[in-house]
Amino acid sequence: MAHISDKDKDYLRKEFGKMKDNVKLVYFTQKFECQYCEMTHEILGELAELSDRISLEVYDLVNDKEITEKYNIDKIPAVVVEGEKDYGIRYFGIPAGYEFSSLIEDIMDVSNKSTSLSAETKKALASLEKPLHIQVFVTPTCPYCPKAVRMAHQMAIESDKVRGDMIEATEFPHLSNHYNVGAVPKIVINDVVDFEGALPEPVYLEKVLEAEGRELSSRT
Amino acid sequence: MDSISFNVSKEIEVENLNEEYDIVILGGGPAGLTSAIYSARAKMKTLVIEKEIIGGEAASTDLIENYPGFPEGISGMELAERMEEQAVRFGAHIVYANIDSLDLKSQPKIIKIDSKTIKAKSIIITSGTSPKALNIPGEKEFKGKGVSYCATCDGPIFSGKDIAIIGCGNSGLQEGLFILKFVKSLTMVEFLPTIQAEKILQERMDTHENVKWLLNHQITAINGKDWVSSITVKNRENNEEKDIPVQGVFIYVGLIPNTAYLGEQIKLNKWGYILTDEKMATSLPGVFAAGDIRETQIRQVATAIGDGAVAASSAQQYIENM
Repeated sequence: MAHISDKDKDYLRKEFGKMKDNVKLVYFTQKFECQYCEMTHEILGELAELSDRISLEVYDLVNDKEITEKYNIDKIPAVVVEGEKDYGIRYFGIPAGYEFSSLIEDIMDVSNKSTSLSAETKKALASLEKPLHIQVFVTPTCPYCPKAVRMAHQMAIESDKVRGDMIEATEFPHLSNHYNVGAVPKIVINDVVDFEGALPEPVYLEKVLEAEGRELSSRT
Repeated sequence: MDSISFNVSKEIEVENLNEEYDIVILGGGPAGLTSAIYSARAKMKTLVIEKEIIGGEAASTDLIENYPGFPEGISGMELAERMEEQAVRFGAHIVYANIDSLDLKSQPKIIKIDSKTIKAKSIIITSGTSPKALNIPGEKEFKGKGVSYCATCDGPIFSGKDIAIIGCGNSGLQEGLFILKFVKSLTMVEFLPTIQAEKILQERMDTHENVKWLLNHQITAINGKDWVSSITVKNRENNEEKDIPVQGVFIYVGLIPNTAYLGEQIKLNKWGYILTDEKMATSLPGVFAAGDIRETQIRQVATAIGDGAVAASSAQQYIENM
């Protein structure tokens, strides 16, 4: 059975009609022992069928070692949304529930090489000196989470220094335990700053800059 | 919820906003979106400013069953997305931003968001409510470490755990039914001697064998080391206290109005809710309020919708008579 309804497919075809450049969904899986891998694969397959501009490549976490290392993938299911380059957009866990919206919006932004971040945010991101790894823990039933995921992904599009991971908290309990995730969205930046909630853009940016500041000061 | 749920953002970027609007609506919950639908259809230039997510408190409700027209119920978020789509279809603008400053007394009214100044002939305040805190020891300390106010967000994290819900009103039971999909056991704690929620919700809860009720009990502390490990409750009949081992506490003990950003510009009741007349007019000319944020008997999607329609009509009349 299809995961995306016919009505939604019609809407998405129209939306994808606005895409400027091609987008590649790079999907990492393995044959066994992954609860949501099959469903994630099916959802991505259905999406790729909706537009000639969207392609899907599938790799095995263990057997395609070179590719997994290139994209720095250590857990599955994993999805990379890639445009003219790998911007650092990652989904770990199924991009279903409310996170499906994040995936669609990411595809559009990557294709059009633009985000809705403000000029101030873009300027601040352009001055980043150190790599920043933003991990956003979510659940598929959390309505506030896509906002936090999209912020991380848009920042990744705007800055080569930023990598943004969506992590579905219930699929990776070891990570959720490690980061003490008890409320979502929970955002962890370079393991030095963490916060909860769908914060407005200027406040989110402050946290990103705070993480960089701490990184810089700890290294000097 | 369906395995796929999507709502491609319909927001407008702050930079692309007009400098002047007829009606600016503060808050994108059911009341605000209804005002936007009515106001946009009246060909008023309409802007909705939302600070967080569309749908307000309703958006984090797993299933809304008492809003007419959806016999099987509808998720709060889906209902909100449909309203948003409807408002945008008729020409309303929606922006996600924090309000930096607000002058309700001037004419036109002045709203500053980010670096933009917006003028409005009339304003409708629909910024709703937030969950009320218990203010007991351990609550703040364990927020995000076992203490939560959003079952739809955090419920799945507590899979296989023993948890407690504080408050047996409609929200407590509705979210309890959602959380029962994941948890091992659920203890429902209610300060009053009786359950306040709709009977139909109580009946559904009674079909679950892993639900325990502690009525007429007051929660006095949330305990733990790095994470919640128990709650302390006091039996209000005999004042006996006991600890109940739980790894999660979800709090549904009422609401507080989101009026702090309004300062002292507008008349509120002693609990902070905005006072309005039957036209949703507030103490200031050209400023209206609708939905959960105003003094009203019940706070439901159905009542917010009615308020929103009335407020839009009143704002329109106000502008026409200017």
